[in-house]
Amino acid sequence: MASLNWRTINIDALDPDSPANFDLSSLTPAIAPVSTADVQALASQIRQLLRGGDSEGALQGALENPPYGADDKGKDIHLATVIEILQSIRQSDMSPMLSRIYSSPGGPEALDVLMKYIYKGMSQTSASSTTRNIAPQATGFSQIHSRGGGEGGGQAMSVLLSWHEKLVEIAGPGSIIRVMTDRRTV
Amino acid sequence: MSQSLRPYLQCVRSSLTAALSLSNFASQASERHNVPEIEAASSPEVLLNPLTVSRNENEKVLIEPSINSVRISIKIKQADEIEHILVHKFTRFLTQRAEAFFILRRKPVKGYDISFLITNFHTEEMLKHKLVDFIIQFMEEVDKEISEMKLFLNARARFVAESFLTPFD
Repeated sequence: MASLNWRTINIDALDPDSPANFDLSSLTPAIAPVSTADVQALASQIRQLLRGGDSEGALQGALENPPYGADDKGKDIHLATVIEILQSIRQSDMSPMLSRIYSSPGGPEALDVLMKYIYKGMSQTSASSTTRNIAPQATGFSQIHSRGGGEGGGQAMSVLLSWHEKLVEIAGPGSIIRVMTDRRTV
Repeated sequence: MSQSLRPYLQCVRSSLTAALSLSNFASQASERHNVPEIEAASSPEVLLNPLTVSRNENEKVLIEPSINSVRISIKIKQADEIEHILVHKFTRFLTQRAEAFFILRRKPVKGYDISFLITNFHTEEMLKHKLVDFIIQFMEEVDKEISEMKLFLNARARFVAESFLTPFD
């Protein structure tokens, strides 16, 4: 009997009325589950638009149907789709396209979803290779270009960073707040 | 400032500005306690979604907001082993003096090099935009500092090696 150290028991976790056991599902509106196959179908539809050169339509289509109810795999597929669209759009087209989406009906919501995907995209690629070994320092004339090493994934990040900058200009800091507070994650 | 650093810092700045909207919130678990909820994690409903801003896989910032506190963790660029050691020594120097820095956390979050913890009491006492400026300035300076230290270290090592090997010449 005496084997359990009762001082280390977190009694809050055992009390159904304690704030530690707050029911988080009461904070989210009901979300219909989405199957991975549906997400895949949507992704191929969007790719079709993208191949046809209609990148604005593709972006709008991807942002209007975020798969909140999908599992991790489905969400990853949709994230990959959104990032593919973002990377295919030229830097000079970003601001006009965002202002057009913003002024369309349901536009501010679509841009909030875009903000969610930008943050998710930035957290995603960095998580994949955390255990990379640091290369030992090269000898000799290493001082000249040693600071340039380890820029892996920098290209994709800089695309997301410039999208983020343009998006904040148009949608304002409120969209960042809504990313933090919205319990419906992408 | 280099071309890719500017959007990164700009993104961190706007994310921080958004995250630093804090209010006083007493602990729900024990009466007359007031703890940073992001550290206590005793009520899941007041913790918000964490944000990650990354420039590449070696340089990123994690912002974990909650109702009365924000935890900001910075991963400093380390291109090789010397920089790894320098960053470790540098952050250790700072964290040992965390008492004097107010917002510095004594221990970094796992996977990051240095962490800051800003509570609603800090935002009440200090100006919010100055806090954001401080974090941004820190991120700018630390890279410069580390490369400077590395250059200095290499120059010194070369000098030592030269004078050590002169008798054998």
